[in-house]
Amino acid sequence: MTLNKEQYTAFEDIVGPEYISSDPAILFSYSWRSGLYAPPQDFSPLFEAIILPHTNEEIQAIVKLSNKFKLQFKASSTGWGPYNDATAPGCVKLDLRRMNRIIEINVKNMYAVVEPGVIGTQLQAECMKLGLNCNQNGAGTNCSASPIVGHCGFGHLSQSGSYGERNQLALEWITPEGELVCFGSLGSTGAWFCGDGPGPSLRGAVRGNVVPMGGLGVFTKAATKLYHWPGPTSVELEGVSPSYVPTSIDNHFLIRIYSFPDMEMMDQAQRKIGEAEIAYELMGFNKGMAASNIATSNEEMLKLHAEFSNLLTDFCLMVIIGGYSARDFEYKTKVLNQIAIDTQGKSLTKISDDPEVAAGCMWRWLRPTASIREVFRATGCFAGEVGGTDVFRLMADYIVETAKVKQKMINDKLIFDDGAPPFTQSIEHGHYGHGELLIRYIPNPSNWAGMMDFMAKANEIAIKQHFGVPGHVFSDMQHDIYGPHVMNYHKWLRKIKKSFDPNGASEGSHHITVKE
Amino acid sequence: MGLEEFRDDMTTCCRCSACKFVPLETLKGYDHVNICPSISRFDYRAFSGGGRLGIGVALLDKQLDYSSPKLREIIYNCQMCGACDVSCKYAMDMEVLEPMNAIRSEMVKHGNAPPALDKMITSLKNGGPMLLEGNAGQGEWASKLGVKDYTKQSVQVIYHAGCRTRHDKTRWAVAQQTVKLMQKANIDVGIAMDEPCCGGRAYQMGYQTEAADKARSNMESINKLGAKTLVTGCAECYFAFKVLYDKFGVKGDFEVLHTSEFFNRLVQQGKLKPTKKVNLTVTYHDPCHLGRQGEPYIHWKGQRVPGQLIIFDPPKEFRRGTKGVYEPPRELLQSIPGLKLVEMDRHKEFAWCCGSGGGVIETNPEYALWTATERINEAASTKAEAVVTGCPGCESLFETAIRKNNKNLKVYDIVEILAMATL
Repeated sequence: MTLNKEQYTAFEDIVGPEYISSDPAILFSYSWRSGLYAPPQDFSPLFEAIILPHTNEEIQAIVKLSNKFKLQFKASSTGWGPYNDATAPGCVKLDLRRMNRIIEINVKNMYAVVEPGVIGTQLQAECMKLGLNCNQNGAGTNCSASPIVGHCGFGHLSQSGSYGERNQLALEWITPEGELVCFGSLGSTGAWFCGDGPGPSLRGAVRGNVVPMGGLGVFTKAATKLYHWPGPTSVELEGVSPSYVPTSIDNHFLIRIYSFPDMEMMDQAQRKIGEAEIAYELMGFNKGMAASNIATSNEEMLKLHAEFSNLLTDFCLMVIIGGYSARDFEYKTKVLNQIAIDTQGKSLTKISDDPEVAAGCMWRWLRPTASIREVFRATGCFAGEVGGTDVFRLMADYIVETAKVKQKMINDKLIFDDGAPPFTQSIEHGHYGHGELLIRYIPNPSNWAGMMDFMAKANEIAIKQHFGVPGHVFSDMQHDIYGPHVMNYHKWLRKIKKSFDPNGASEGSHHITVKE
Repeated sequence: MGLEEFRDDMTTCCRCSACKFVPLETLKGYDHVNICPSISRFDYRAFSGGGRLGIGVALLDKQLDYSSPKLREIIYNCQMCGACDVSCKYAMDMEVLEPMNAIRSEMVKHGNAPPALDKMITSLKNGGPMLLEGNAGQGEWASKLGVKDYTKQSVQVIYHAGCRTRHDKTRWAVAQQTVKLMQKANIDVGIAMDEPCCGGRAYQMGYQTEAADKARSNMESINKLGAKTLVTGCAECYFAFKVLYDKFGVKGDFEVLHTSEFFNRLVQQGKLKPTKKVNLTVTYHDPCHLGRQGEPYIHWKGQRVPGQLIIFDPPKEFRRGTKGVYEPPRELLQSIPGLKLVEMDRHKEFAWCCGSGGGVIETNPEYALWTATERINEAASTKAEAVVTGCPGCESLFETAIRKNNKNLKVYDIVEILAMATL
């Protein structure tokens, strides 16, 4: 279907002719598929129109019109993942890139308020000027800074900076029927400091296990927690892309990649580092990840991977220490060294002994910019987003199990062979955990079929071995698989969707739909 | 190269949006995060590097038609500045700008290039310049300099002034100062009274055949002269002679240098001595075709190795903007007594484009001016008194933007600054 003249004109009257288009050339640029879980098909279904709203009033009007015309709408911020796409005809796209203001950085109460078009780099750079930092989506600082639009929001900084669900404070939300709702503290005091009141708290209802992936209205502003930053107000760099080296990270920082003899020792090290609360960043970081991050091309990555294969086991982690004072740094370093001794952690000297490599890695992982190198450069496509957020060891064990399935795909030559070491990370100093696999593939039909088989097996492992609901579980199909094993949560999720979106106007294929 | 040859590059795009932003390691605040003038101005994803690659795939798959007016608007509202290419290649092993050039070439073949370019291309084909305004006499600018005509006398150094300089009387002073500085350093320099157009801009506009023809005819005559060096003060001419001609396989048997490189060498060698104080705080604007696109062309012929990894046989070294001309102009400015150089947020390989390239100044002057205004505002934020650059195209548009926005900034060619301190 295509929008009829009345529909198009009605939308056009809201935003003006410059900010709506249904020209095929515009539509195809939005339907080019994401590299995340890329299928063999080059394009997803076309949207009926692309609309670029600038205000809440415009969004409300668009949403109400969509309901009236029995159309669906889907909003997105930076629009990276496949969940930003249409899944069938009859859907209009709200590209929120024009809503890109940092509304507030509240130093005293340590939160920031952003619109969805602000990217992580921008917020981090502004926060650092004030001695603060914000969590970043592990996919990179090219993602939105909003804690409710960038999927789960685990990342390099999550040891000290938590992740989306925990960072999300008050929200401004336009419901699937076009009502403007301010919730958490914003709903009563007009301030942004709390997502759970004293005003109405809808945090759990609107987030679900993961964010609604564009399937439950439009989140136009969000407050996110901020954290202390022990580094400089800005970082000076030398060099030219793709090789930058910071010159101004002070000597209160240290970076290490440790290799451990087995999973048990790595687990102990992660727990001890968490208990001591010494790490600014702590992340499982296997040789494939390290090689991809450091190298500036695939050719170089292959060489580094071979080099690291002789130096590292399959059980490695990356840790960054940041000291708030010389004594703090000295203390944290001593503790880290002792933990490394106790757990037989061996430091990769290529990182620790070369100041340029160390500084380069440190900055690339403090402002995560190399995730694209890590997961997409090898093949253009990535599909290892299988882990969830739960007790650290539970997640680690889940990834160890799913890694066996990855190894089978490697054996079958369906994906890039970078080995199958599990990648685990502890969040909030070990309070939570998360795991993923680095799975990179060329999206042809046979590889894609293998990927679907892998996902099915990952689900089977999660369910049969009681690992909980992983972060990749979105869409009717997946919720319907998991729901019966987890207190029929899918029925409640569907009721929430139905209550807020009785017409199914907010395109929910990547969240949940109102179908029974 | 045809668009089909870039299918693998285009389908490698993971839609990460890096092409829209400066390399993110470099950002120091909220402002100046954007690197692509096109999507910054027009907002739809289609106007980004990644968006255009998606469109390229749709064109190859015949899901889009080359005759579309909207397609022309998308493809030609882009300065081809190459910033998307640099930001993408911070992380990825794929071409961005090359497929965009190939799409333009297909647009020309399908007769859907903007009509505003027709006269320029016709002029080029007829041996004329690509700048139609002005036309103020071929060698008139040099009439009082006593400089050799390299088409009649042998010289060591050819000075190629470029159409934008020769045809605009307000730029003549820069060309004249260039020659005077060379004469002061006892350089055996010559110019052509009937200087040929380099044809480089035709390539950016999608007229690859016309650009290649021009390259071949130019090199046939220039190679015969036996000069050791060709110096130009125009970034686009520099790109043509240094990079594009090499790509076309007609690289000359002489060194191609920008005036900033050439004069920096002379200063370093002590052959020119900037002794007069120039009490100015300036910021330097890196022209796209001197900076990120000015790095040498890398010949490669091979294929992607089949399998689950993007590698090539033989290995392919990507042009990532790393080896552009960044330091010589800065060194030259720093050699000027009294002058203070301050950097804009976006500089070197991630400099914001001036706005005039890719035919935009001809096809959409309002957008060109918008882009230049962004740059002028960025320059003003450094508290510099003047913007210095090395391309007459940038200079001309900056002057217009400053005038229209009532800014107090001045614009200088880098040669003018050196002349102030030396002549």
